[in-house]
Amino acid sequence: MSLSFSAQLRLGPFAYDATIAADQEIVVLFGHSGAGKTVTLQLIAGLLRPDSGRIVIDDALAFDTEAKVDRPPQQRRVGYVVQDLALFPHLSVAQNIAFGMPRGGDNGTSLRSLVSLLRLDGLEERKPRTLSGGQQQRVALARALARDTRLLLLDEPFSALDESLRADLRRELLRLRRELGLTIVFVTHDLREAHLLADRLAVFDDGHVLQFDARETVFRKPVSRRVAELTGVSNLFAGTVIGTDARGTAVEVNGLTLYCSTGDAAPRPGQHVDVAIRAERVNLRRAASAPDETNLMEARIVEEFAYGATHTLRLEPTGTGPQLEVELAARPYEVLGVASQRTWLVELPREHLHVMPAG
Amino acid sequence: MRSTTGADRTAITAVAVLTAAFALFFLLPFAGLVERAWEDGRTFEIWRTQQARDALFLSLWTSTLSVGLAIAFGTPVAYLLARYRFPGRAVIDAIVDLPIVLPPTVAGVALLTAFGRRGLIGEPIDNWTGFTFGFRTIAVVMAQLLVAAPFYVRAAKAGFEGVDAQLERVAYTLGASRMRAFVRVVVPQAWPSLLAGVILAWSRAMGELGATLIFAGNLEGKTQTMPLAIIEAFEGSSLGLAGAIALSLALLIVALALLVVFRLIAGRAASGV
Repeated sequence: MSLSFSAQLRLGPFAYDATIAADQEIVVLFGHSGAGKTVTLQLIAGLLRPDSGRIVIDDALAFDTEAKVDRPPQQRRVGYVVQDLALFPHLSVAQNIAFGMPRGGDNGTSLRSLVSLLRLDGLEERKPRTLSGGQQQRVALARALARDTRLLLLDEPFSALDESLRADLRRELLRLRRELGLTIVFVTHDLREAHLLADRLAVFDDGHVLQFDARETVFRKPVSRRVAELTGVSNLFAGTVIGTDARGTAVEVNGLTLYCSTGDAAPRPGQHVDVAIRAERVNLRRAASAPDETNLMEARIVEEFAYGATHTLRLEPTGTGPQLEVELAARPYEVLGVASQRTWLVELPREHLHVMPAG
Repeated sequence: MRSTTGADRTAITAVAVLTAAFALFFLLPFAGLVERAWEDGRTFEIWRTQQARDALFLSLWTSTLSVGLAIAFGTPVAYLLARYRFPGRAVIDAIVDLPIVLPPTVAGVALLTAFGRRGLIGEPIDNWTGFTFGFRTIAVVMAQLLVAAPFYVRAAKAGFEGVDAQLERVAYTLGASRMRAFVRVVVPQAWPSLLAGVILAWSRAMGELGATLIFAGNLEGKTQTMPLAIIEAFEGSSLGLAGAIALSLALLIVALALLVVFRLIAGRAASGV
């Protein structure tokens, strides 16, 4: 099951233009609310018509401006789980699940297998409102799968559930994907959820896809300052390229020279760039290992937040260099004795410094 | 621990007295009706007269037909008004409401000027085919439909608006046609409102007097519905006041029966059988 999607649409002041694809994987659409994630699902499902574009679902043309094809939602064979689930309140669990099954045929077998697949045994005759949030969620999934579709559209499916239930259902979803070979387009604004589930990640902002790439690429090599901000990079510095040598590309940030790995496309000297490093990639050290070691600066902890499993520290440079945010796991925090020592040598490892064109 | 203060007690007493007085005001007229009909002794005799039986039968079947037509034509209109924004929507919405606020006598006059023998459309029809609407049973149905259908449309529209449109969209993605989504998803959930609309429309149709009198006339066995028969009896036909009382009691019993039946259906629907 594959999806290829490209669509443009104007909704009043909102301009939408996005291109994504998915093939037997979980593609996560990530962004703030109003960024165009739900619109994308509605366009795929055929509940919203683009001004122009081309949508192909499993090699079948669902929408194409040029070929003048526009299949109604009934013919698109996608399973769409909307954010509020929209279970039919007057129908039982079994009736809800069977709603989309072909009429007239014998659906008993597939109904039973879906019920056991989603662990709804014994709840078949219950009404949706008598179920727990997690059970309702699984009924909605079963109903969406009942049309024998292999393309699932999930709109923030776990947002209304508490954390332990979310973890269970995420595991369940990964299991389903494995067992059924599903292609899933998953909308979320939860960074952790996006990281856990995504094979590929599309970062939405204001109706546009800023970056669509493998998960690790998006998280480690954001294409712009905005993507870095949206994906939770807390250290973003404006800098100027000095030059490139064997140690990497030298970038001057607040008077400090940082050597960065830039891959093949080394920026020209004098070019303005943004440098990003995730808070958990910054190291605290007591001393330099060699006198000529680079990418070090001295900084003092000015603020500290304890989240239990992690600590977030805010540091001010004592000399040159930028302000920093550092995230430490509880164990290294204790081993290093951060609580008693306030001034540190901070290492910004070359391989974790990511250089982007200034935007 | 809650304590009941003197002020609380006064308020509770006031509410109880007001409620009791209000309930009495509603109950006394019915008690009076039953008491007089009982005392008179001619009630059963009057019920058996041809005129009474004709009037009751006519009232029952014309109001049923009117409500049936209101459902057939009013349901799509109500759904359209509830779900879609289109040019002229506000106008249609207002037109549907108009008969609710309009006195039925005005509706009767209006019907006459449109469908009467010299009416806007009545005259050409009369000239071409020789058919006139006035003083026929069809005129009774038309009068009832005009006066009663808006009550159904209003209630149905409110019912449809209360159904989450998301449910229909999901039904579409599950392969359901618009018709199937409407029948399987929308109607079952709007059911209590639809029933309420039917009850309202039916009672209005059964009680229709002014428009019928003006547009359809008062012909025994043809256009004389129960309310018309009651008026005629009251104004001094052979049946007299006793006739008015007997016919009113009959209408009251029919109305109560209908109400009970609908309550039972609505109760079943609400309990989710």
